[in-house]
Amino acid sequence: MTTMLEPSMTDVEMVVTEVWSSFLGDSDPLLIGPPATLDVGWSSAVTVSGEWHGMISVELPTGTAEEITRRMLMVDATPDEDVADAVGELVNMIGGGVKSLMPGPSALSLPVVAAGRVARPSDVVEVCRFDATWAGAPLVVSVHVQNSHH
Amino acid sequence: MYALIIDDSRAMRSILRRIVTDLGFETLEAADGQEALDHLNAGRIPTLCLIDWNMPVMDGYTFITNVRANPEWRDITLMMVTTESEHGQIVRALAAGAHEYVIKPFTPDAIADKLELLGLVAKAVPA
Repeated sequence: MTTMLEPSMTDVEMVVTEVWSSFLGDSDPLLIGPPATLDVGWSSAVTVSGEWHGMISVELPTGTAEEITRRMLMVDATPDEDVADAVGELVNMIGGGVKSLMPGPSALSLPVVAAGRVARPSDVVEVCRFDATWAGAPLVVSVHVQNSHH
Repeated sequence: MYALIIDDSRAMRSILRRIVTDLGFETLEAADGQEALDHLNAGRIPTLCLIDWNMPVMDGYTFITNVRANPEWRDITLMMVTTESEHGQIVRALAAGAHEYVIKPFTPDAIADKLELLGLVAKAVPA
């Protein structure tokens, strides 16, 4: 039996903020909202399957994804392979944090990363959206659940 | 002392490499459990393995069970470093032979504290 729960906005904000400060430092704090128009250059997603089913995704402008890569890898050049890796690890940690908020047991998928928007299944609905600004650019973290479970 | 960092993310391996290098380790890296086993089978035996759980090819849990099945590798300290935070998974990993369990995201101090507890790095003395 699946559980039709969704994480609270406050909890998702807490998870995202903790991941950001742990791995990207506090010199550029993550500023919450408001929703902004986002030119998605990179995105990544993980799914949680088990007692709770959901999909957690991160959408970033290209420049932000590259800056995250520079800071995580401590490199200057940011080939696409490294950007995909860094953005994938970011959503892996956020997804793991969201998973920990929800009833288990459940399994976390490996991250899926796309230049542009990650494809979403047609039967999912957004239940939580976290808009933020980091290093002067907007980003979005969202949680989707299957429509039939919502 | 060598630390073998096992994670499919190059970014995470880079972060962990900086942390353990600062603590006095030389490092080896592997992108999955099988690649890590290949290091061990080739005679590259580390003091410490830092192991992600979710990886392609071979996950961290399977790697631990493989290591613990070989008596020649019993002295290797195994530390999970993973986003998996369910109690059942932590218990499973420890029962399989992991010595410690760190949940991502972590701070460098959290890694250092665990390694101090394991006796692999000297305890920091306040100035």
